[in-house]
Amino acid sequence: MAEEVPRRWRDPELLVKALPTVILQTTCFLAPLVMTFLLTFQRSRNFQLQWTWDLWTWTDIFSKPHYWTILLHTVFMAVACVAICLVIAFPVAYGLATRFKAWENEIKVLITFAFITDATLKIYGWALFLDKNGMANYLLGSLGLSPEIVAFLFTDWATLLGMVYSLLAFAIFTLYLSISNIDRSLILAAYDAGAGKLRAHWEVTLPLCKPGIWAGSVLIFLLSVGAFLEPKVLGGGKSPMSAELIRQTFETRVNWPLGAALTLMLMVVSVFIVLLFSRLIGLKRAGLAS
Amino acid sequence: MTKSWYSDLPQYYQRQIKAAGLDEAGLTRRRLLKGMAATAGVAMAGLSSRPSRAAAQMTYMCWEGYNDPRIMDPFKKANDVDIAFDLIVDSPGGFAKLQAGASREVDLVSSDMPWITRLGPAGLAHELNPSEYEDVYATFYDQFKPPFEPLLHEGKTIGVATRWGWVGPCINTDITKPEVWKTYDPVFDDANKGKICVMDWGDWPILPMALHAGIDPYQELDQNALEEVRKVLRAMFKNTRMLVADLTQAQKGLLDGSLLGCIGAGSYLTSAVRKQGHKNIIAVVPEPKNGLKQGIIWVEATAILKDTDQPELAQKLLKHVVSKESGHILSLLDSTCNVVTNKAVEELYTPEERDILQVDYMWKAWDNSQMHRIAPNIDEMLAIWQEELAAAQ
Repeated sequence: MAEEVPRRWRDPELLVKALPTVILQTTCFLAPLVMTFLLTFQRSRNFQLQWTWDLWTWTDIFSKPHYWTILLHTVFMAVACVAICLVIAFPVAYGLATRFKAWENEIKVLITFAFITDATLKIYGWALFLDKNGMANYLLGSLGLSPEIVAFLFTDWATLLGMVYSLLAFAIFTLYLSISNIDRSLILAAYDAGAGKLRAHWEVTLPLCKPGIWAGSVLIFLLSVGAFLEPKVLGGGKSPMSAELIRQTFETRVNWPLGAALTLMLMVVSVFIVLLFSRLIGLKRAGLAS
Repeated sequence: MTKSWYSDLPQYYQRQIKAAGLDEAGLTRRRLLKGMAATAGVAMAGLSSRPSRAAAQMTYMCWEGYNDPRIMDPFKKANDVDIAFDLIVDSPGGFAKLQAGASREVDLVSSDMPWITRLGPAGLAHELNPSEYEDVYATFYDQFKPPFEPLLHEGKTIGVATRWGWVGPCINTDITKPEVWKTYDPVFDDANKGKICVMDWGDWPILPMALHAGIDPYQELDQNALEEVRKVLRAMFKNTRMLVADLTQAQKGLLDGSLLGCIGAGSYLTSAVRKQGHKNIIAVVPEPKNGLKQGIIWVEATAILKDTDQPELAQKLLKHVVSKESGHILSLLDSTCNVVTNKAVEELYTPEERDILQVDYMWKAWDNSQMHRIAPNIDEMLAIWQEELAAAQ
C-alpha cells in the first residue's frame, strides 16, 4: 500500500514557509480591508464620526443613482482607455520587438523617461498645450485653421487623452515582452503552410500575445479606475470619476463611512469586471480546446 | 550627579535625547513620536555639517505660508526650538487628520476658522483665556477683538483670527465691468456659457450660490430650502466651463480672457496675480439681494491643541504668528496675498502693497458680506453638490 501523501496545506514545512506571507497579507491587506468594511456601518454627522452600527451608508449608496452614474462613467472611461492603449501599443511594441531592433534600447529609454516623468507635470503640460491660447491652437492658427479647432480641453476626450498618455507604457512593455517571447519559427511555419502576413498575424502572433494583452489590460484598467488628476485638470472637473468622488467624500465631506463604502464598491466592481473577463477568456479557451 | 540611561552615550547623542524630551522618566506616545522625529533629524544631520541643537521640538499644522522662514526663523532662534510643519492642503482634511489622532502630535494649528471652531466641540482645542492675549488684541481691528463670536464654542475662545479676505466673483476688468457683477446673475446668463469657472473648494462655491437663491446657508435649512440650493447649483453647472481646485488654472483663465469670471474664490485668488502686476484682476462682492448680504468673509485662525506638551511655547508661537512683523510677511506671500487681522500691519504697507491687497476696498467687502462660520446643513449641501455634478455629466 502506497504511503499516504500529506495534503499540501497541512504540510508543516509549507505552513512555516507561508507564514511570513500570511502575516504580511493579513496585516497589510486583509486587516485594513476589514476595518474599512466595518467603518461603512458607522455614520458621520457634522464632520464627526459616530459609532452607530447601522446600514445608513449602504442605504444611501443603493438609493442614490449618482454614485452609480459616476461608477459607470469610471468603468466606461477605463475600458475606453484600455482599448485605446492596446490599439496604440500593439504596433509600437511589435515594431520594437521585430523591426527596430537596432534602436530598441534607445526607444525603450525614451518611453521609460516619458513614463517616469511626474504625472502632474505631464498632465499640466497637456493642459497648457491644449488650452484655448495654447500651443495646439497657435499651430493650427498659423496654418490658417480655425484657432479653436482643438476645443476639447475640459471634456471627457481630454481626460481620456491624459489617461492614455499616462498609462500607455504599461501596454507597450507588457506587449513587447509577449511579442519578444514568440518563437519566430511558428510564424515562419504559418507562412510555409500558406498563410499570408495578415492571417499569420491574426492566427499566430495575436493568440500568442494574449498573456501580454491580458496583463496590460488588467494593469491599465485597474489604474484607470483610480485616475483622479486627469478628470480634474484635463476634464475640467465637470465629469468626475470614482477616485475624485471618493477623495471629495473623505476630504471635503469628511464622511469616512461613505468614503469607505464607495472605496469598497469601486474595488468590488473592478475585481468583478476583471474576474468576469478572465472567466470569459477562460471559457473561450475551453471552447477552442474542445 | 545622577546617572541617567543615556549618560554613557557621547555628548552629541545626549543633546539629541534631551532635545527630543526623552530624558525624563517614562515615554509617552508624544515623546516617542517626537523622539522618532529627532532620530530622523539626527540621520538628516549626518548629511549636513551642522546638527540641530534646539532644546525643544514643536509641530505646527498650517497652510503653506505660515511656515515661511522669514516668520519662523526668528521665533526658532529666539526660543531655541525646532518646528516640524504639517502642511494642510484643505481645511476639512486637516481637521480629519487631527480627529484621527494627529492632535496628539500637533501643538498649534492654523486653518480656516470654521474648522478651528470645530476643534472646540471635538474636544481637541485648548480654550484660550482672552486676558492672556490682551497685548495681541490691542492692535487688532475691532471686528476681530474678543468676544469674536465665530471663534467661540459655548462661550469659550477657541482660537485667534489671523488672516482674512472675501469670497466673491473674481473678474478681469479688461473683459467685464465690476458693475455687471453687482449680482451673481452673469453666472446664469446663457451668453456666458462656458466662460464661468467654479473653484472646487468644498463649501466655498455652494454658500454664495445659496445666498444668491435667497437662502441663508448659515441657518438651519428645511427640505424646501435645500431644494432651492439644488436648483441654483444645477443652473450654475449648466454654464460652467470648468471646476478647478488649483488656483493657477483659474488665474490663467482670467488673465488670458478665456474665463469671464470665477466664483467660489475671491481675494485669495486675485491678490497673488495683482502682486505680479495684473491690477486688472480683482475680487468684488455683489450687493445685498433679498435682504441677504451676498459676500462671504473668510477668516483663518490659529488654535493651540489641548494635548500639547508645551503650552507656553505654543502660546508664544501663536502670538508671534499674529504679530505686526509676521502679519506683514503673511499678508504678502508669493502664492497668495491677504489682509491680516492685526491693524498695526497697515503701517508697514506701501501704497503698492495696499493696492495689491485691495485695502481700500476691504471694508466695503466686509459690509456687504456674511461672516463665514459653520453652516448647519453643509453635509446635505455637499451631498447635493455631488448629485448635481454627476447629473450634469
